[in-house]
Amino acid sequence: MSQIELRHVDKSFGAVGVCHDINLTVEEGEFVTLLGSSGCGKTTTLNMVAGLEDPSKGDILIGGRRVNDLSPVQRDVAMVFQNYALYPHMTVAENLGFTLKMRKMAKPQIAERVAAVAASLELTPLLERLPSALSGGQQQRVAIGRALVREPRVFLFDEPFSNLDASLRVKMRAEVKQLHQQLGVTTLFVTHDQEEAMSISDRIAVLNRGKVEQFGTPEEIYSRPATRYVARFIGNPQIDLVPGELEPGADGAVLRLAGVALTLPDFVPPPGAGPAVEVGVRPEHVRLTEAGIPAKVQLVQPVGAATHVVLGWEGGDLIASVPGFVHLSVGAAIHFEIDPRHVLVFDAQSGDRLM
Amino acid sequence: MSFASARSRDRGFRVLVVVGLILFVVWSAAPILWLIVSSLMQQQALIVQPPDFSLGNFTLENFTEVIVSAAALGRGILNSFIVALFSTAVALVIGAPAAYALARLAVPRANALAFLVLATQMLPGIAIAIPLFLVISRLGLIDNVLALGLVYLSFNLPIVIWILRGFFLAIPEGIEKAAAVDGAGVVGTFLHIVLPISIPPLGAAAVFAFVEAWNEFFFALILTRQDAQTVPLVIAQFAGQYQTLFGQMMAAAAISIAPVIALAIIFRNQIVRGFADGMMKG
Ligand SMILES: Nc1ncnc2c1ncn2[C@@H]1O[C@H](COP(=O)(O)OP(=O)(O)OP(=O)(O)O)[C@@H](O)[C@H]1O
Ligand SMILES: [Mg+2]
Repeated sequence: MSQIELRHVDKSFGAVGVCHDINLTVEEGEFVTLLGSSGCGKTTTLNMVAGLEDPSKGDILIGGRRVNDLSPVQRDVAMVFQNYALYPHMTVAENLGFTLKMRKMAKPQIAERVAAVAASLELTPLLERLPSALSGGQQQRVAIGRALVREPRVFLFDEPFSNLDASLRVKMRAEVKQLHQQLGVTTLFVTHDQEEAMSISDRIAVLNRGKVEQFGTPEEIYSRPATRYVARFIGNPQIDLVPGELEPGADGAVLRLAGVALTLPDFVPPPGAGPAVEVGVRPEHVRLTEAGIPAKVQLVQPVGAATHVVLGWEGGDLIASVPGFVHLSVGAAIHFEIDPRHVLVFDAQSGDRLM
Repeated sequence: MSFASARSRDRGFRVLVVVGLILFVVWSAAPILWLIVSSLMQQQALIVQPPDFSLGNFTLENFTEVIVSAAALGRGILNSFIVALFSTAVALVIGAPAAYALARLAVPRANALAFLVLATQMLPGIAIAIPLFLVISRLGLIDNVLALGLVYLSFNLPIVIWILRGFFLAIPEGIEKAAAVDGAGVVGTFLHIVLPISIPPLGAAAVFAFVEAWNEFFFALILTRQDAQTVPLVIAQFAGQYQTLFGQMMAAAAISIAPVIALAIIFRNQIVRGFADGMMKG
């Protein structure tokens, strides 16, 4: 039993509130990511689960048991720290084995476990080195190894890949995900990289200024973002957002965007919503067409699998993501269409999604 | 700015640093050099104005005199060693955990407490001399080496606590958090993590405390008579009522600073190694 649960957790440092009413459940064996921009309280939340910080309010449960008053050891978590936090005076082998030594394991068994973990992380040739003689990527693998060397109830990862180069990062991502599939240990992972979160998680909790903005699967977060903030935070290139007005129509509603009227069938806006709204469209749902809404090509950015075309339109600038390469000259007149089925409508005031 | 001018400015700065260092070395080494020179000269050549530095006036006589005639010097050195070692070692053993507690544990009003510890050092020595003398003499511990060691311990402890607390505060907390998750309690973290990475400041604090105790004159003067006299007192005795034996005094002083210098060199190596072990990276 190793489900993690946060119930109404608040955290403040002095007068500064950092976490506000966080509610989160990581099911047994699940891989959940806390995603948010720098300073939104990810590390603080993780520290509270680990027992390194006390919540100001609320309860933390591991395996159904309230652990607020338990020490990190008693909680039996393993953690990879954002800045690695390797012991500078110990060799790689001693760093890996320290936790086993503290748990009074016999020396031969420690050596065995350390060797196994080192082999799986390709650290074997480095075992006798001090951390100061390792590259950033190697240090990071030692930090991960230090967590993997025992079998904890819960894994906590705090931006473990943030200092790696792009290709190593992608490789480590795959390795950690695979490892999770093999071991099935309940995992809470922290990152500010939305792509990383999407690719690695069962579910994602998007944090914004210490509040959980949305908690759902990567697909839910991407396709049905709960708020404008989430919509903006997820997706690369960023979602297109343009101001518009919502009017009740014959059946459903009509969306007016800079002279364009989109009919949204079967959509009844909640009372009090609009008329001012913000309309979000993912760039892959902006289609370039022969006839449609007129615009001008402003910028063409091929990225390989797709080309991002920035369109100048009277309603605002839009990015269209087109598969493959397209040949367009800057300044050319062009037309586009928006598929009403993929339109997201946010309340201009609250930012909550209406549709 | 071109690279060339940047480089020449760089060189100008280097020259400045080197000149500064030379001045500093002369400033601190000149008295020691003078001490050694005068310890090697005959009294007559030394006290004429100006001193007569001709080669014939150099001699080892002062050293042989001091060593042969003054058994007091040997005893003084031994006493100094005992009080300095005792007051340094015990100050480290008590001071390091105290400093760690003040730096990291949930000690109420830790800052105020730490300041109070330092504040004890701000009293002028003369203010506590008489009470201290009364206490020690009522206990019948005047001229007792260990009593002097205890007094020095009370001077060294606050300094050691203050130096080490500053260092402990600067240790990145992540390392100790990692140790907590790895299963080390407060004591385990202190012994396995904090102390080993604190060898440089421990060495610095030790040297500082040792030298303080080794050189102390005033309290040694009022708390000892003969058996417990330390080196500075023995040296002072070469200044007699009618005549000061400068050469012998300097020879005794030269002998007395030798252990301190040796100690500083030994610890310097250790401190440098401590830093090279990668305190900063990692
Ligand atoms: N010990 C502390 N005392 C005061 N404020 C703190 C403390 N620790 C964190 N904070 C503040 O709490 C907020 C959240 O910090 P936290 O480290 O949890 O952010 P984060 O989401 O992990 O950011 P990053 O992505 O940069 O690591 C920040 O504004 C930070 O300044
Ligand atoms: Mg963080």
